[in-house]
Amino acid sequence: FYESFRKKKSPVRILVTGGSGLLGKAIEHVVTKQGGARDGEEWIFLSSKDANLTDLAQTRAIFEKHRPTHVIHLAAKVGGLYLHMKENLQFWRDNIRINDNVLHTAHEMNINRVVSCLSSCIFPDKTTYPIDETMIHNGPPHESNYGYSYAKRMIDVQNRGYRSQYGRKYTAVIPTNVFGPYDNFNKENGHVLSALINKTHTAKVEGSPLQVWGSGKPLRQFIYSLDIARLIIWVLREYEEVSPIILSVGEDDEISIKEAVEKIAETLEFKGEIVYDTTKSDGQIKKTASNAKLRSLLPDFEFTPFPQALKETCDWFLNNYDIARR
Amino acid sequence: ERPAFRTVRILVTGGSGLLGKAIEHVVTKQGGARDGEEWIFLSSKDANLTDLAQTRAIFEKHRPTHVIHLAAKVGGLYLHMKENLQFWRDNIRINDNVLHTAHEMNINRVVSCLSSCIFPDKTTYPIDETMIHNGPPHESNYGYSYAKRMIDVQNRGYRSQYGRKYTAVIPTNVFGPYDNFNKENGHVLSALINKTHTAKVEGSPLQVWGSGKPLRQFIYSLDIARLIIWVLREYEEVSPIILSVGEDDEISIKEAVEKIAETLEFKGEIVYDTTKSDGQIKKTASNAKLRSLLPDFEFTPFPQALKETCDWFLNNYDIARR
Repeated sequence: FYESFRKKKSPVRILVTGGSGLLGKAIEHVVTKQGGARDGEEWIFLSSKDANLTDLAQTRAIFEKHRPTHVIHLAAKVGGLYLHMKENLQFWRDNIRINDNVLHTAHEMNINRVVSCLSSCIFPDKTTYPIDETMIHNGPPHESNYGYSYAKRMIDVQNRGYRSQYGRKYTAVIPTNVFGPYDNFNKENGHVLSALINKTHTAKVEGSPLQVWGSGKPLRQFIYSLDIARLIIWVLREYEEVSPIILSVGEDDEISIKEAVEKIAETLEFKGEIVYDTTKSDGQIKKTASNAKLRSLLPDFEFTPFPQALKETCDWFLNNYDIARR
Repeated sequence: ERPAFRTVRILVTGGSGLLGKAIEHVVTKQGGARDGEEWIFLSSKDANLTDLAQTRAIFEKHRPTHVIHLAAKVGGLYLHMKENLQFWRDNIRINDNVLHTAHEMNINRVVSCLSSCIFPDKTTYPIDETMIHNGPPHESNYGYSYAKRMIDVQNRGYRSQYGRKYTAVIPTNVFGPYDNFNKENGHVLSALINKTHTAKVEGSPLQVWGSGKPLRQFIYSLDIARLIIWVLREYEEVSPIILSVGEDDEISIKEAVEKIAETLEFKGEIVYDTTKSDGQIKKTASNAKLRSLLPDFEFTPFPQALKETCDWFLNNYDIARR
């Protein structure tokens, strides 16, 4: 009786690791507030409070507790540019450990579907443009974060291994520069747009000039976290390949840091002086990635227009100033 | 602590394998050890290095000052093709356990062992040490290759975060006594020695897998052993060093087969089964870095090294890994 009961009602249980981060919160928002979940689906969002995924026993325990059928694996040791440069070994060891614990526990529990998250910063430093999915392993990554980059690249190696040895459908997505609510808005460590939003807000409140690190010339494809969330959910359900897929706006939607700064100033109504400190590092000048693969599979997907996404993010930041990671 | 009596204790993981046995031979029978040095050779019987607790226990037991890290999950072409995930996971685990335990025990010197098969598949020749990460490795053994490449990443991390002098050597195709002579899984020369011996004894043709055209730089295990000991003592860089004979000493599988047949006095028919995979057609590596640091090192001539290996195989047929 119980077997047939369970079979009829077999729910889809999707475990999201790193659920309290930028992408995890975006997926949670889409699933709980924008009708992104389907009937019969249970979504579970984990954070580091629930389990330390560098520890195998804790990883197994949390998987045993929830017995997921699907995993969206977003958890990682992350940080800003300067932390990476100081601790490449730590970034490598922790992320290798987290990823092996999650992927192998999923495999041992007979979970057939895991979608992991790479990053456009892991691509080869010396490269031609646009970058595409076939190029991940084509050369060393940028020196500043080689530990993190190599650990993330290994997810792709692991996915291929699980497919060829065990037939698992483990895959990965590669977002470009994500921004949105719940990001890390720290002025030194945060992602570039979020740090700029925070700095602009402070400059406005204090009546001081806005100091932007670098020349403003680097180009980026910024993508709204809610768009990435919708796409990750689509990947989980529909994307058949083990090889990864870039999730990004098109090459034509690349904008410079300077354009982004001016848009943020306009959105926050900052009218003071903007100063570019060219003694500070620019990071990579361009990272132009091709979204041709995504477009061939989802030709009609509409990205949230940048001004609207920026406004929603700024509004969230102002309304949640006290709890935002700053 | 009595500095005057402080011993140098060199722990060799993978001590029962091809390279480990060669180092043991050089150290115990060819005067390769120095006064005050204690050499400890570990095998999987002593500790399972995929297990962190066992790794720590064996390091605590011996308290080495130096480590030559040769232990790995290894195999022949066909095993790699079937189990890339296993090769990746086990070797990542072994290497992290050994390197991090060494670091935690304040060991400043670890020499690990990479392999020339981990280089990018699509590449220019000759291959050199700067090219390790320049593209994906050969499809057949990507799991093993990526895990080995990560040793270089780890070495750099330990140097920049902690000042450790962990480095790596990259031998090309090694052969010698104590190798795995298994006809399916063994290294190419060793497998061929075994197959040729069997063919001779049974009076049957010698079946060689592949076309015989691939080219290799074969290097004798005793030469590698001497060079690894030199690296442990004298090589200062964290970036790896290729240990190989020169590019001009590259030979084809067919030439190697004919030399083995000559050495073992096999006079039967030799058949090349071209339906079987060749693996990589060439892997020509530059030994310029080695030559710039050790211009006078003399490699054992190939016919002599082959004869010593065949003699060992015949004299130790019962205990040889077959």
